[in-house]
Amino acid sequence: MNKTVSITINGEAYEESVPIRLLLVDFIRDVCGLTGTHVACTYEGVCGACTVHLDGEAVKACLMLAVQADGHAVTTIEGLARDGNLHPLQKSFNDHHALQCGFCTAGILMNAAEFLKVNRHPTEDEIRAALVGNLCRCTGYAHIVDAIKDAAGRSA
Amino acid sequence: MYPAVIESYVAPKTVQEALGALAAALAAHGDDAHFIAGGQSLMQAIKSRLVTPKCLVDLQHVAELKGVRSDADGLRIGAMTRYREIATAEPLTGAYEALRDAASHVGDRQVRNRGTIGGSLCWNYLAACMPAACIGVGASVELLDSKGKRRTLLAEEFLGGPLETERQPDEILLAVLLPRAAAKTGSAYKKWGLVTDALPVVGVSAWVELGADGRCRRARLAVGGLASGPRRATAGEERMTGLARSDADGIGAAADAAAAATDVQSDMWADQSYRKTLIAALAREVIALAFTRAG
Repeated sequence: MNKTVSITINGEAYEESVPIRLLLVDFIRDVCGLTGTHVACTYEGVCGACTVHLDGEAVKACLMLAVQADGHAVTTIEGLARDGNLHPLQKSFNDHHALQCGFCTAGILMNAAEFLKVNRHPTEDEIRAALVGNLCRCTGYAHIVDAIKDAAGRSA
Repeated sequence: MYPAVIESYVAPKTVQEALGALAAALAAHGDDAHFIAGGQSLMQAIKSRLVTPKCLVDLQHVAELKGVRSDADGLRIGAMTRYREIATAEPLTGAYEALRDAASHVGDRQVRNRGTIGGSLCWNYLAACMPAACIGVGASVELLDSKGKRRTLLAEEFLGGPLETERQPDEILLAVLLPRAAAKTGSAYKKWGLVTDALPVVGVSAWVELGADGRCRRARLAVGGLASGPRRATAGEERMTGLARSDADGIGAAADAAAAATDVQSDMWADQSYRKTLIAALAREVIALAFTRAG
């Protein structure tokens, strides 16, 4: 069964009739064509690769239906850079070589971007605790933690 | 992992509308109508098709179910209050700090941005933190049915075995109620699991009220992660009464008594004797911390 939803993604309004069972992550990827948001754990809710912002807060887009996002504003990795300028975290991930295969990166950036708004001067322990919901199988996290710490310093 | 077909979805704005929508959905679909709160457990169950709802009534817009408020009787946590808010709620320090302990380590920060206390209690998953923490602090729950009948139950009466509660199909959980606490009261919750902040193997919650002499005059201890559902450990509570913060041996004896008297299961994560070891070790920590917080 379908329902019409109005969801703003990265400032652009999408009004679509979608099956009620459609997950938000599939709305973003398949309906809107924004494939920067990834699915790594076959929708099991454990990897964090599909993390997006819902009204500015980091959430897993496989843990909600698109209809639940009706009337809300979503930001995806495609909306993180503004006016062609990379977000401080994106620059910092580049500088610190904080990604290898890159599959988890979009989710980590979206989670970390909101985390740094809540906690502007995090300790290493706080950064590591904030990353509990994001799996990275390449880096061992060390460079990711360094990059987030550096970005916090830069935007402070 | 993908949801089966869902026939209808509604997002009411008030409790009355929510109860009306659920009653209509129950009439149309029988048991296959569900409230959805934050959905951080229910969506997993829907995707694995453990639950196959025909209709979902989404409570996200029901403002009266959100937030922590103080009234004449004590504190009232709306059922749709998220872990994110509970983890830092100022009124929950001291006597009810076990709820902050539990909420601040549920899942991960993405889950805490959506998951709610009411959702957790109504789902009552075996290893969930909020059920044991709520029983541990002596919380009650307030329910309302579609005919306007309101009732209040202790959390320990409301919560049954895993995935079982006393909530009737046409009832909504409105709030978690916390009685006004005496001055020198403290609580703490701690869990142990194989993966950081994931669903734990065992969780233990302690609550102590101290008299003028600094000794415990009322105590509560609760355990989660049990096949029989979250439970009070009254054998431990009895031994906590009369203890002072400095009585480490007495606290240890209370923790050991709680573990010895708790019925535990063996499973792939922990056998019976290891589970009892975990309960005793966690109980020791949370009882000591509850004393410290009681001041």
